[in-house]
Amino acid sequence: MPQDSTAIDIASCEREPIRTPGAVQPHGFLLALAGGAQPQVVQVSDNLAQFTGLMPEAALQRPLADIIGAAGAAALAQLLVDSELRERPAYLTTLRLGDTAFDVLAHAWDALQILEFEPARDNHGAELQRLYPLVGDFLNKINDADSIEALCAQAAADIRALTGFGRVLVYSFDDEGHGNVLAESLADGYDSYVGQRFPASDIPRQARELYIANRVRIIQDANYTPSLLTPASNPLSGKASDLSFAALRSVSPVHLQYMRNMGTLASMSVSLVVKGKLWGLISCHHAEPRMLSFHQRTVCEQLGQILALHIKNRGDADELQFRLEVRRSMVRILGGLTQGADFIENLRSVLPELLHFARAGGVAIVIDDRLTTFGDTPSDEQIRALSDWLGANVHEEVFHSGHLPAQYPPALEFTDSASGLLAMQISRIHQHYLLWFRPEHVYHIDWAGRPDGKELRAGQLTPRTSFQLWRETIHGSSTPWREGEVELAVEFRTALLGIALERAEQMADLAEELGRANKELEAFSYSVSHDLRAPLRHIVGFSDLLMETAGSDNPERRQRFLANIKDAARLAGKLVDDLLSFSQMGRAALRPIRVRMGDLVRGCIDKLAPDLPQRRIDWQVGPLPEIIADPAFLQLALYNLLSNAVKFTAGSNPAVIRISSEELPGETAFHIADNGVGFNMEYAHKLFGVFQRLHRMEDFQGTGIGLANVRRIIERHGGRVWATSVPGEGATFSFALPHHD
Amino acid sequence: MLKPILLVEDNPNDLELTLIALERSQLANEVIIVRDGAEALDYLHARGAYAKREQGNPAVVLLDLKLPKVDGLEVLAEIRASATLKSMPVVMLTSSREEQDLVRSYELGVNAYVVKPVDFAEFVRAIADLGIFWAVLNEPPPGSHRYIKPQ
Repeated sequence: MPQDSTAIDIASCEREPIRTPGAVQPHGFLLALAGGAQPQVVQVSDNLAQFTGLMPEAALQRPLADIIGAAGAAALAQLLVDSELRERPAYLTTLRLGDTAFDVLAHAWDALQILEFEPARDNHGAELQRLYPLVGDFLNKINDADSIEALCAQAAADIRALTGFGRVLVYSFDDEGHGNVLAESLADGYDSYVGQRFPASDIPRQARELYIANRVRIIQDANYTPSLLTPASNPLSGKASDLSFAALRSVSPVHLQYMRNMGTLASMSVSLVVKGKLWGLISCHHAEPRMLSFHQRTVCEQLGQILALHIKNRGDADELQFRLEVRRSMVRILGGLTQGADFIENLRSVLPELLHFARAGGVAIVIDDRLTTFGDTPSDEQIRALSDWLGANVHEEVFHSGHLPAQYPPALEFTDSASGLLAMQISRIHQHYLLWFRPEHVYHIDWAGRPDGKELRAGQLTPRTSFQLWRETIHGSSTPWREGEVELAVEFRTALLGIALERAEQMADLAEELGRANKELEAFSYSVSHDLRAPLRHIVGFSDLLMETAGSDNPERRQRFLANIKDAARLAGKLVDDLLSFSQMGRAALRPIRVRMGDLVRGCIDKLAPDLPQRRIDWQVGPLPEIIADPAFLQLALYNLLSNAVKFTAGSNPAVIRISSEELPGETAFHIADNGVGFNMEYAHKLFGVFQRLHRMEDFQGTGIGLANVRRIIERHGGRVWATSVPGEGATFSFALPHHD
Repeated sequence: MLKPILLVEDNPNDLELTLIALERSQLANEVIIVRDGAEALDYLHARGAYAKREQGNPAVVLLDLKLPKVDGLEVLAEIRASATLKSMPVVMLTSSREEQDLVRSYELGVNAYVVKPVDFAEFVRAIADLGIFWAVLNEPPPGSHRYIKPQ
């Protein structure tokens, strides 16, 4: 026979009709009633005679009074009317039949009223008084427990004290369904199982499902002979009777064999259901047959519910704490990422924190051909191959594996550094990854017997016989990625892409700025078509006129035409020069240094002087601070402003030009004030535009580019320009440069 | 009664060339010269320095696009928005054939858009044609008098 047949085993177990065994445990008897106002017994367990002397067949289609006597039947009938029966058995009363007292449990299921009679202990009042304070005690003690293990240990101890079972285990199921023993309470002579693992195959799938519905189960004596039901099927439906919730439900012979193999004759298990899932079990064993009253079982069930609730709360609190920590780490990373302009450089600066974020041993950033690693990672080639594989095979935004070689066999080469992988795609378009590696975590599982150790005897399913410790060593795995870690990684990715998006917005801002520059350029070409064309047309026009008048004797007129031609030609030349300088202004890089403003101003005045031999100009230069600026650019701006002041004070005698500075919040302002013709404030908004003029050409020469240049220079320094004037009294042109911290 | 032509031109060279051209067209209309958009509006609204001018709108406004203070498009917009001025013929006289200027001018309701020819002979002919068309041939809006060439 093949020995390794776990799969067959489980499949067979899963076909076990555990809900419909067609029999009960023989320590009590079952009566099923049907038929509304005058209920009759429609199904009984075969051990009826043993307790009542009545043969099963004789009880069928009879009223309850014929079986348990008129008094008992009347009491029960009243109780059945008063209590709304549910799917879970409820205690109705304790009835005496002959010499024996029975606890009567009732539940409604499978279209029947099912009554179960269990021999009762005497003195119920005293039992209840003893039991219920235990629940209060447990509640008090459990609040002091500071871990799930401590909670479970407390529950194990209290349940053992309550029930007198020799061994109480509390175990939880892992993702694969294996049970890990978290806590136990033992009487002398019972083997310890704490820290061990029970294979998933010990509890078949349909048993787990039943354990969620029916939270407490007891087997009083594993050597029992089941008492069959008469009739065998549900008399109403004709199908196998569903005993899912019956306290006396007979269990699978495989399970009884399992118990005997384990040296356990009595057992009880209480389900620990957390968030609707079977989180674990409280499993009680006793070497001898053991009876528990319904009340004892109910208290155990309540303790189990309290424990499950605390496990949930503790788990939630632990998870919350863990997520908080990870999130704090994430916030620190994101903080670092917004520092500089270069995203990848920013990522590099937070590498240690990235490692911490995912509790990883190594981290890699893969962006196009650029690969940055930190900590303990596979080689560059291995990482590149891995990211190629991810690109081709993984479509989730965040991929994680605690056992990479299982999905990606080449990872066997580097299990020491990367048995675990958390991969995050950090671009929506490109295959750019953030990779976290977790090293191999070699660990041992102490199985309570070989997990695949169930043995097959010819034709019969038998449970495993060995509960000897069996140690398994696991290679190629890392510590698993927690659900919280993966979820936070997804959150982190969203934030990362958010930053990328913000950067895209910055790019959009830049584009807008470029758009503005482009508009300036359009204004520029527009101006060229207007302003550069005009002088050319004038040259042509006056030349034609000059030729026409060649023969005439009007030398004055000819002289003027010639002068006009010369002016137009000079203006055209100057326009071209100014336009070129203007376009340069937008392109050349700024080289800001510490500049003494006073020196710049004096330099400009010296430069202006040769053009003004006969002018009387009173230059009043106030104290000027040092600033950070590109001196060449700033001198050009200053020169434009000062020559403007000179130009528009041509009619003032003396011309007074005052240069001063002023500290404003966050910026230093400079003012160039003159006592010239000034301008109408109504048109102030046009002053700094390209080719805007507020004066007639013949009054004040100029191309209309000077102030546009000034604005461009100052704005490129992050500053602003403005002007104020009272026509006829003078104008003040100002600019402000932001402070450098 | 002869209605004047309003010439709005800031550039002295353009002004001289235009005046020479108008002179050669032998129009008898008075040519009123203003040097920027603000002055043009003052004249048209008969305010400021022109508060005491003779009543009535000019036969046509020859308007440069690029003007100090208030540019040609702004002047045109204000003319079209004014109840007393809106039906007055306005001709853009400009250096540029820029599409945006053309489009804007027609949007604002210009009557004609003339790019100043570079060749002077053509320039003279264009100005003469304009003057004759608008000041002589064109039937002015109701309420103004048609120009009759003196015998």
